[in-house]
Amino acid sequence: MPLDTSTYNLALLRVDGRRWNELRQQKGQLGVQPSADGSAYLEMGNTKIQCIISGPNERDLSKSTSSASTAPTSNGAGATVAVSIMIAPFATVDRKRRGRNDKRLQEMQTTIASGLAATVQGQSYGPRSTIHISLNVLSQDGSLLACLINAASLALVDAGVPMTDYLVACTAGSTSSYAAADEEADPLLDLNTQEEQELPFLTLATLGATDKVVAMVCESRVQLTRLEGMMATAADGCKGVRDFLDGVVRDKGELMVQEGAIGRGEVVSSMDLD
Amino acid sequence: MPITILQPSLAPPPKLRNVDSDSDSEGGADLEGDVAMGRPAKRARTQDSSIMTPGEIITDDPQWMRGHGTYIIPGASSNTILSSVAGTLAKTNKLLSVRPLRARYTPEIGDLVVGRIVEVQAKRWRVDVGGTLLAQLPLSAINLPGGIQRRRTETDELQIRTFFSEGELLVAEVQQLYNDGAAVLHTRSLKYGKLRNGVFMSVTGTGGGGGVVRARRQAFTLDISGTDEVSGSEKIDVLLGVNGYIWISKHIEGEGAAAETSGPGITRIEESVGLNVYSSQNDIIPVDTMREIARVRGVITALVENGLRVDEEMVIKGYAEAVEMAKEERDSADTLWLGGERGKRLANALVGR
Amino acid sequence: MPREAEPSQNEKDFILKAVREGHRLDGRALDEFRQLDLKFGDQYGVADVTLGKTRIIAKVTAEVTVPYTDRPFDGIFTITTELSPMASPAFEVNRPTETEVLLSRLLEKTVRRSNALDTESLCLVAGQKCWSIRVDLHVLSHDGNLIDASCLAVVAALRHFRKPDTSMEGDTLTVYTPAEREPVPLSWLHSPFCITFSFFGSISVGEDGEEKDIWLLDTTLLEEQLRVSSCTISMNKHGEICQVAKPGGAPVEAVTVVQCSSLALQKVKDLSDFVDQKLAEDSKHRNKGGLLAELSAENAR
Repeated sequence: MPLDTSTYNLALLRVDGRRWNELRQQKGQLGVQPSADGSAYLEMGNTKIQCIISGPNERDLSKSTSSASTAPTSNGAGATVAVSIMIAPFATVDRKRRGRNDKRLQEMQTTIASGLAATVQGQSYGPRSTIHISLNVLSQDGSLLACLINAASLALVDAGVPMTDYLVACTAGSTSSYAAADEEADPLLDLNTQEEQELPFLTLATLGATDKVVAMVCESRVQLTRLEGMMATAADGCKGVRDFLDGVVRDKGELMVQEGAIGRGEVVSSMDLD
Repeated sequence: MPITILQPSLAPPPKLRNVDSDSDSEGGADLEGDVAMGRPAKRARTQDSSIMTPGEIITDDPQWMRGHGTYIIPGASSNTILSSVAGTLAKTNKLLSVRPLRARYTPEIGDLVVGRIVEVQAKRWRVDVGGTLLAQLPLSAINLPGGIQRRRTETDELQIRTFFSEGELLVAEVQQLYNDGAAVLHTRSLKYGKLRNGVFMSVTGTGGGGGVVRARRQAFTLDISGTDEVSGSEKIDVLLGVNGYIWISKHIEGEGAAAETSGPGITRIEESVGLNVYSSQNDIIPVDTMREIARVRGVITALVENGLRVDEEMVIKGYAEAVEMAKEERDSADTLWLGGERGKRLANALVGR
Repeated sequence: MPREAEPSQNEKDFILKAVREGHRLDGRALDEFRQLDLKFGDQYGVADVTLGKTRIIAKVTAEVTVPYTDRPFDGIFTITTELSPMASPAFEVNRPTETEVLLSRLLEKTVRRSNALDTESLCLVAGQKCWSIRVDLHVLSHDGNLIDASCLAVVAALRHFRKPDTSMEGDTLTVYTPAEREPVPLSWLHSPFCITFSFFGSISVGEDGEEKDIWLLDTTLLEEQLRVSSCTISMNKHGEICQVAKPGGAPVEAVTVVQCSSLALQKVKDLSDFVDQKLAEDSKHRNKGGLLAELSAENAR
């Protein structure tokens, strides 16, 4: 396949005009589905995800969603996280319908479910309840797993589920293919489909702005020496994503305070006890 | 019905946050400078906002205690309290807790809830009250028809479905909580029991955000003075379940919410618990009453859509306002509809905006 | 769905405490593999891997079929996994568990997507005839670390396999029986191996309370049930990463992951040497006395 990114070295600009460390345009919205317990809509570039959460509630797992992947929180003492991904047939350029038992999707579901289970503090709900996370991919243009994780995180905040921190994810690639052993290769942040097809890349999910890796998926051949650089880039991208998600949540909260839907919070900055 | 074309209103301009976070959303992780490279000191709290988000440090002062919606890093020796939900901070003496912007209902003892039967078991019902777990209603915690006081026998167990069967609605009180947060309900009062002659609706419950709030009175009777073609004789009962489930029904003397105050004491319970308390048959409801029930429902929907709290005062005021609005525009046919622009007008009138 | 019995709280506490202090139940070091054994069958393309009590058999078969229409120049290469109730009561027939889906996905990514087997060399007549290579993986006994053992079995079986020789003369394609022509090995590009790290939380070391993640290699089933998360790194001996998968679970420091990846390289080199040595032994065994012995007219009497 001809490398479109071969022009990268000339101007240090990528196919969509970004520099190596730039995230794509992001848009986020909370509470897009009022009847759900929590919902969010997230765009990262042209990847568009809608996430609907129902629960935590007590519903028969086997009956409702047989294709969902589940993971228990807090060592089985807390609520179960069940994730199911639906990719709309119109999400990609070539319109096709996917089977429900696509192993690639199942793997992603498992990754998201057990990743979120590690951040959700589910012990307050009891082991019989389940948080159902349903992710709908409306448009797909690279960094799919990362975007799914971010959307689910955002929706969980909307649902008021206690979490240690946001679970955020981002992709990073490397400009050289595995064959070329040149040391000049630049890492790239937040890849789109075109770049994903040509370049080795990995998806990294971290716990908030820390360097703690919750999930990491790399599916392409890449030199071991590249790994560290790509991980560092992705981790920095995760920080950017976290700040963005945090901004979305704060905006929503401030709006609710302004409208009077919730009482104004008290400020502890003074830290004085009466 | 004539078609009116409304002037399209401009979408509100996207709110720009402070410059700092704006650059985040576009520039992302800028590795060029040294600024972003260093481990960011755990985000300084923005001064203007009192919103807490997950992972945010609330305080590292050891004198505070942590409450709901907060956590400390296990194992670490520090006393740092962090928020685990997005919401506003609440102080109760030395206890710090974060009230989430939105959450599912968490039952507390004494809550008045409206629920729906989802499962019938041998000696109890499992009831959906909108919480994280199903609540249960033991057979021993209901009133028998006719108010007879006796042990529940096998016969009662066999005909458990004659009291409540799947899908039926009831109003009850939370009597007890299990360790995992599941609630046990009871209906041993005249004001509780099966619901009929009305309409069900579901809004956000207590736990965060708008919706129903815990108040002194969750159940009340509304005089439907109504638009003037209705005689003032009819009344409507409104049950605001703390869990966000709401029941609006025709008022029947000696039953429902009113029985709470005017009803007989425990000594006369036999006489007052009629034989038809477990009937699933609706009484005849006049069309006018039906319309006013629908209006009340519209008012509550409008309150929720505009982010206002739902309680007795707001519903009564809102209903009066809606009636006024309907009187003003007598000629147009859709006076019951309170969505969109009309709902906003109603809400604005209520809060005096 | 039947489940593996949960270890009791006592067992959990005991093993976790021991691991924190650097001990394992079977006396191995934290980064030590169990006894690894690799046997080849009488036929070409059968590998039997034993890793402690885990035992896996991989069998390679080849047949001539029609290539996929969208890839006329490529042969077909499939890996199928079967986790039968024989290996563990938690597995059911015809109902892939999550373990199985993850295992087959990992093998797919490690061996197939990394182009370990040159699928273009499997093409016989473009768009009409090609070889279809199929690897059947059977787990005979499950005592942890299925992924590493399976990957080793698949790679060893494929490298051991010989497909019938073919020739093209004009429009006629001839497939020779082993008696006519010696079968030829597959065109093999590199040998990837999986190394799975299992994490068990972190302990603080030193006075400054620095956190250090604890990880184990080659976990038994019991240890696997207790781990908080895992990370599988696939690599070849040239230091090329073919795949990294940390499917959720408790967070670990990024530094640990980088350290693990360089350690994985050492282990992969060991495994690679091990397979090379076993293959050499096997071919020596098969070829007693070399070609001359076979050609000799003298018979055993």
